[in-house]
This record gives sequence, structure tokens and C-alpha cells, in this order.
Amino acid sequence: MVKLTIDDRVLEAREGLTILRAAQESGIDIPHFCYHPAFAPEGSCRMCLVEIEGVPKLELACSTPVREGQKVRTRSPSVVEARKSVLEFFLAEHPLDCPICDKAGECRLQDFYEEYGRFDSRLKEAKEKREKKAAIGNKLILDRERCVLCTRCVRFLKEVTGTGELGVVNRGNHSEIATYESELVDNNYTGNLVDLCPVGAITDADFRFKARAWFLDSRESICPLCGRGCHIFVDVHPGFPRVLLPQRAYRIRPRENPDVNGHWICDFGRYSYAYLDRGRLDKLVQNKGGRETVLTAEKTSQIIAAKIRGLVELERRPRITVLLNTTLTNEELYLADRVFRRGLGLKNIFVADPPEGTADGFLQTAERTPNRRGAAAIGPFPALPGLGELAGATDLLLIFGHFLAARAAAGELKSAFDRIEAKYLWASHRSPLDELVDIVIPTPVVAEKSGTLTNVEGRVQPISPALGFCSEGWPEWRALLDLAGALDLDRGFFEPLASPADILAVMKKEISFFG
Amino acid sequence: MDDKTLTRDFGVADLHEVGVYRGRGGYAAVAKALKMAPPDVLCEVQKASLRGRGGAGFPAGVKWGFVPQNLPGPRYLCVNADEGEPGTFKDRYIMLHNPHLLLEGIVIAAYAVGIHEAYIYIRGEYEAVAQRLETAIAGAEGKNLLGKNILGSGFDLDVFVHRGAGAYICGEETALLESIEGKRGHPRLKPPFPAVVGLFNAPTVINNVETLSNVPAIIQNGADWFLKQGLPKDGGTRIFGVSGKVKKPGIYELPLGTRLRALIEEHAGGLKEGCVLKAVIPGGLSAPILTAEEIDLPMDFDSLAGAGSMLGSAAVIVIDRETPMLEVLRITSKFYAHESCGQCTPCRIGTAWIHKIVTRIAEGRGEPDDIDTIISLASNIKGKTECPLGDAAALPILSICRKFRGELERSLK
Repeated sequence: MVKLTIDDRVLEAREGLTILRAAQESGIDIPHFCYHPAFAPEGSCRMCLVEIEGVPKLELACSTPVREGQKVRTRSPSVVEARKSVLEFFLAEHPLDCPICDKAGECRLQDFYEEYGRFDSRLKEAKEKREKKAAIGNKLILDRERCVLCTRCVRFLKEVTGTGELGVVNRGNHSEIATYESELVDNNYTGNLVDLCPVGAITDADFRFKARAWFLDSRESICPLCGRGCHIFVDVHPGFPRVLLPQRAYRIRPRENPDVNGHWICDFGRYSYAYLDRGRLDKLVQNKGGRETVLTAEKTSQIIAAKIRGLVELERRPRITVLLNTTLTNEELYLADRVFRRGLGLKNIFVADPPEGTADGFLQTAERTPNRRGAAAIGPFPALPGLGELAGATDLLLIFGHFLAARAAAGELKSAFDRIEAKYLWASHRSPLDELVDIVIPTPVVAEKSGTLTNVEGRVQPISPALGFCSEGWPEWRALLDLAGALDLDRGFFEPLASPADILAVMKKEISFFG
Repeated sequence: MDDKTLTRDFGVADLHEVGVYRGRGGYAAVAKALKMAPPDVLCEVQKASLRGRGGAGFPAGVKWGFVPQNLPGPRYLCVNADEGEPGTFKDRYIMLHNPHLLLEGIVIAAYAVGIHEAYIYIRGEYEAVAQRLETAIAGAEGKNLLGKNILGSGFDLDVFVHRGAGAYICGEETALLESIEGKRGHPRLKPPFPAVVGLFNAPTVINNVETLSNVPAIIQNGADWFLKQGLPKDGGTRIFGVSGKVKKPGIYELPLGTRLRALIEEHAGGLKEGCVLKAVIPGGLSAPILTAEEIDLPMDFDSLAGAGSMLGSAAVIVIDRETPMLEVLRITSKFYAHESCGQCTPCRIGTAWIHKIVTRIAEGRGEPDDIDTIISLASNIKGKTECPLGDAAALPILSICRKFRGELERSLK
């Protein structure tokens, strides 16, 4: 540790740390464009210049290491002037089209001008005209007039993905970010360039002109689309009075976590968010009987419990089949195990997951569900046998998740389901299964749930609702507790459980993996 | 004249041929050095106070001494023959007329620092010069003066010529390294300095052509002799390149400390008929301008620094009264706007902005506050960029605006 002074504050910093990092860790902001903690310092934007006692010139905070006894000033007159002048240079070449720029509201150039600039323009000359919407990638639009040439994008593709699609071409004030000839930025991490860009130079074709950043509310969640469990923000538009918005979630952004995903997420996780709003089940559906009873959570569990009890009494217990999936939380999988295997003594408990993809060698895993590792620690639950075999051995089918629908053609599903006497489905999305079962209960997706998920490395990660959930459904853990109650199973165990946190507390005692 | 070291034999026919060069005592210094212990060679050069001839004036021996000797892996020598500073043409003459002098200097420097691979980074425009160097290298290799086991000493050295593509920035030593590595010529963030992490991440010495060409004479005649050629802190002679409105433009090898007035009036034959001196740029375009009243200065690093300018590459540009300072300013600002590498914000945008203002003034649309704006913008570039190009642009612009403000203001409306 070395002791140094920054703006009259004496602080201790680890040796080898830069002034910028040491200041940051002590809550002192030093403005910067090109510096990014994931890359080696570049030192080109010149925004982070600070004064160091005894050094004649201003020095870069982003690359100068801390030294014992160093006295740094980040708000001295010369530093304030230097920042102002860097901003003046940037703005002399910037189109100032903030009203139509997606970055407005979360733009460093805007923020820094407010904080460190506030001067009148001295520019009498014409600004350079440059390309305003170069499509440099599948979803990437580059506005070269807005670019500040921080080269974060170039360095990301060089240092992180290793694909190197972008570079700087031409010299001096003609310098521009470009791909080689007409090639595109093409990898599974291109969306990160939009987050990395400190200004509105690289915008996202997916998000362009859809929402103003200041209306969005960033809520924390975990990406459920593969086993990595990347930490994300779900940017949600709370809406306006009397205006119906087409969607709640407008974009997914990485949330920094050095242990899991660093600063990044893959494009698959970023751009697949439509599932949050589209195709959702929001009504409880009862297909058989056509009774006019309005179903409640309690009534539903009673119906299902009665069916289960009937089969058990007829000694047809082995003909009850349960299908789980690994988007369920650890708590839900644990409850399913407690209710069906240990409570009812069922043997046919399987996992029906979406099909596997391929791992990309960086963050994205082959499995496309967030809790396969958790299921392995709790179960393990065997994989689903063939559909025909399943139907032949089943009188009562309890299905969690709609993923079975993707495994067979509609006709095949129907003939299989027709052979089964009673079928109940808990699902977040509409699917062909909806019409084949007796009751469909809407369930939340990961972004709407509480609980924990275990990622591919065995990290147990908590989730809490980033989005609200429709009023006619309930989460699976709730359904399983209700079912346990209706079946009168081990009241001493189930009754005290009222939340995922309670369930996790029990799991920690019982399963060493979670302890 | 006897006091010439580098240009003494320029008149000798076919001096660029290894046989002719050796016939005049060439490569004797290499033979002598190879019999000395490398630290003794280093020590002699350090004692000679040989300051860098590229522009910065950093003592060459000290630079060599920075190279760590205990690291595994190769070390490199890069010869800066980019000679991009406007007004400068001395290295071209050395390489063209006396290429073996440079090669001899390279061998001695490499031997002193323990280097077995050297690159001569030469500006792309010097095509014939590059060809001359290639021929000289082949000639030296044929005589066992380069290559394996030089003169039976067991010391190996390969020299390669690497041609640049015409960017001024590649004369900046770290941009030069990037360029040799096949990358875009952008200066690197320092530290680490090239002496520790240089070419291909290995410790690297980078010296100017003229600097290295002084080394053979230092080894041959000793550091004391060399010091006597110049000043106590600035050993040796300097090749001054005089251009502009003089009767005899050209290169003049003179002792460091020669007065600027003597250089212009005696050596370069004075101003052209009918011309009256107005200003002098004393050390390449990047050196702040001097007025006609300031030319009694001795031409050495410290005297010029004391006068707020610099010796730089010792390229003296003589400007007469008929030349409008606005035109000097326009050409200067155009050059730096064109040559800024574009990496650092103040230099990239500042040089372009200044050039736009100067162009507008030259088109007759100047406004009263323009000179103040130029001074302010140049001050905001100065000292705030990674490499010296920012200062190289700001300092001459500032000096022209300050020293010739009255004349410039007459161009405003």
C-alpha cells in the first residue's frame, strides 16, 4: 500500500494502481473517455489530465501509477482549464444532434460538458461532414460525426473478442473508425460496442429511436438464456399515463461482475429480450369441462391435488409423470423434489429443456437454460424419454414449462396427449401445449421471479423481480407449496415456508452444495 | 577544413563504396572498438557528451546506458532516418555521400549495448538513399564488416533498411517502432520507454543518423578530442542545413556554438540580393521563430533553449521581409494539421481548427479576435499530448503569433 494525497484527502492505495483507479475507489471522479477498466490505458482522449506536485506538465490519471507521498490535484485551475479545452476540442467537431441521438441522457460528452464545460462556442468554422449512418455490423450503426476516437470499440475487438474487425483509418482530423473495406463487425459480442461507446457514435439498430434513455429504469437481473448466468440490467420503460407501450423491456445491458461476465454479455442474451413481452401467457385457461367456476390459485391446487389423490388411491401412483425444466430456480426444483419424489414417492420425474446450442468459447454455454447445474445438485433428474413411451406410461401429466412443444410436431403431440387422462401445465409462454392440457397456469419468467440460480461454474446467484407479473398466474414455488398444502404433505416441513428465501435456508442445511 | 568530422570526405569520389571508404581510414574505429570491452566503448561515448542530433538533444551515451543488460532475449537498435522535420536535409547527405560512416557508427553502438539486429528506418521519399544504404550494407557484409563474426571478433550484427510510407509522425521514436512492427504509426504511451520495452517489446536504442555518424570519430580520437570540437556540454560539430532566402543554401558542418549570424552571413553567403532579413526558424519548423534582432545567438542546445526556441534538427530557415508571416503561419499550420496522427484530442482537432482559422484569414475573412483564439487553441495543445508533435505544432504557431502579431493583425478586417 502507498499513501498519497488526492485533493487534500490522504488515502491509501494498492501499489501498481493508477491515480484514476485509486481516486475512483475513494469516490473521486476523474472524467475520461478512452480509459476503460477492461483494457490497457490508451491515454489519447486527454480528459483525465491531473496535476501532480513537482511534475511540470499535467499527467494522465489513467496511466500514471500511484506513488508514496504523491500529491495529486484533480480540481486545480490548470486541470479545470485542461478539461474545458479538451471538451471544447471535442465539441468543435461534434454535430450536437443530441435531440435525435439515442445516447442523449447517458452520454459522457453531455455529462462532462454539464460538469466541466459550460463555455460559449468559439467555433466560426464549418465542421467536418462525415458519414452519419454507416452500418458496421448486424445491429451496429456508426455515426462518424459523433465519434470522439476513444478507440474503445477497436480495443474491445482486439483485446476481448480477438476478432479485430475495427481499426482507425486516415490521419489527423480525417481519422475515422472503420472496418476493412465492406466487411462487418461479426461476432457474438458486437452489442457491447454500443455500451462501450462513450458518446452516440455507435448506436444499436435494435434500440435506435425507440426510447429516450432518461425514461428507462435499469433493473438488475440475471440472464436466463444460457448456463453462464451473466449479470444484466433490464431497461424497462414504466410507460406514460393513457399511452399503451408495445413493450416493457427496451434493451438488455451487461451489469459488471468480475467473477461471471466482466463487463460484457453476448448478443444472444442481449437481443433475445422480446420473449419478456411477446407470446406471454397472461390468463389462466381451463380447457376441459367448461365449468363456469372462476379458478383461483387455491381452487386450482385443489383440483390437481384431487386428481393426484385419486390416482394414488387407485394404486396408479407409477402412472403419474412430472416434467420439470432448468429455468426453474433452485428453490423450485428443490420443492418439486420434496413434493413429488419424497412426498408422493413418484419415480417419473424428468427434465424437458429447450434444445442445446453450441458454446461460443467465451461466455455463452451450450445449454440454453440458467440452472442445469442447480438441477444436477438437487436431483439429479433424468432426461425425458421418448414422447410415445411417456404417453403410454402416464395417466396424469404435470408439466412445468412449454419446452416440450418444440420437441415434436403438433400432430404427434396431440396423439400423445390424447392418450393421457389428465394434464396440467405451468408455463410462461403460449405454446401448442395450451390446447392439449386441462388447465394452463401462467408463470413468471426469471426476470419476474425471486430465488436463486446456479450457473455453469456452480455459482449460486440470487435473482429478484425486475419486472412485474400478470395477476392471473403465480410462480412455480408458490404452486408447489399450494400443492403440498392441498395434498396435506408433511405440514411441519412445508407450512413454515413462505418465500424462496425460506426455502433456500432449508436447502442450505440439507444439501451441502448450497451450504 | 580540419574541424569537420562528418562531411570532411564528402568530396571524395565513390566514397559510398566500401573500398574507397576503407582506403581513407574507414572502419578503423570499428576495429578499435571491437578490441575494447563493450562497457569501455559505452563509457567513452558517455564521456563525449554526444547529444542527440534528431531534435531532442538527449545524450546518446545516457540513452544506451538505460538498456537493461540482464534481461533475456534480443535487444534492438533503430536508426531514425525518417528526417521529416521541414527544412531538414542533413541525414540525407550523410547517407547518400558517406553511408559507411553511419554503418560504422551502428556497429560500434550495437557492440557497446550488445545488439545483434539493427533497423534503419528511412523515410519513403528517400528512395535513392535507401538504395544507397542497401548497396553499402551489402558491401560491408562482403568485407565482413557486418554479418557474422565481424572482423573475427565473434560479434554478429545484421542491419536492415526499413522504408517508411511518408508520415511525419513516424519520426517520433515510438511511432517509428510501431511502423517497423507493421502497425499504424501511432506514438505509444510512455512509460515504458523504448530502452526497456521497444521494438517487438524488446529493449531498444533509437538514435538519429547524424548522432550515430559521430560515434566512429569519438572512438577513434577519444572523448576529449570530441568535446574540444564543440562546447563543454555539447560535444562535437553539427550539420546545419540552411534554406530560404540565402545566397548559398546547403549543409554546413560547424562546431556547436557557432553564431547564427555567422552561419547566415558568412557561411551561407548572406541574404539574396535585395532581400532583408525578417525572421529565422533555427531548428526545423517545430522550433519557435526568431526575429532578425535575435540572430546573435550561439547555435547550441542550451543557448537556443534559453532564447525560448530550440536547436532541434539544426535546420535553419531564413525568411526575408517580402515573405508575409501570414503565409508562414498558414504553411506551418497546414503541415501540422496534415501530419497530426490523430490519436490525442488536442492535437487532432486543435491543429485542424487553427488551420481553418488561418485559412479564413488568408482568404480575407479574418476577424478581430482570431489571433487570440489561435494563441488560446495552441496553448491548449501545448503540453497536453502524448508525443512531442503537439508541442511541435503549438510552439512555432505561438511564436509567430506573438512575435509578428502586428503584421498578422493587419490581415484581419
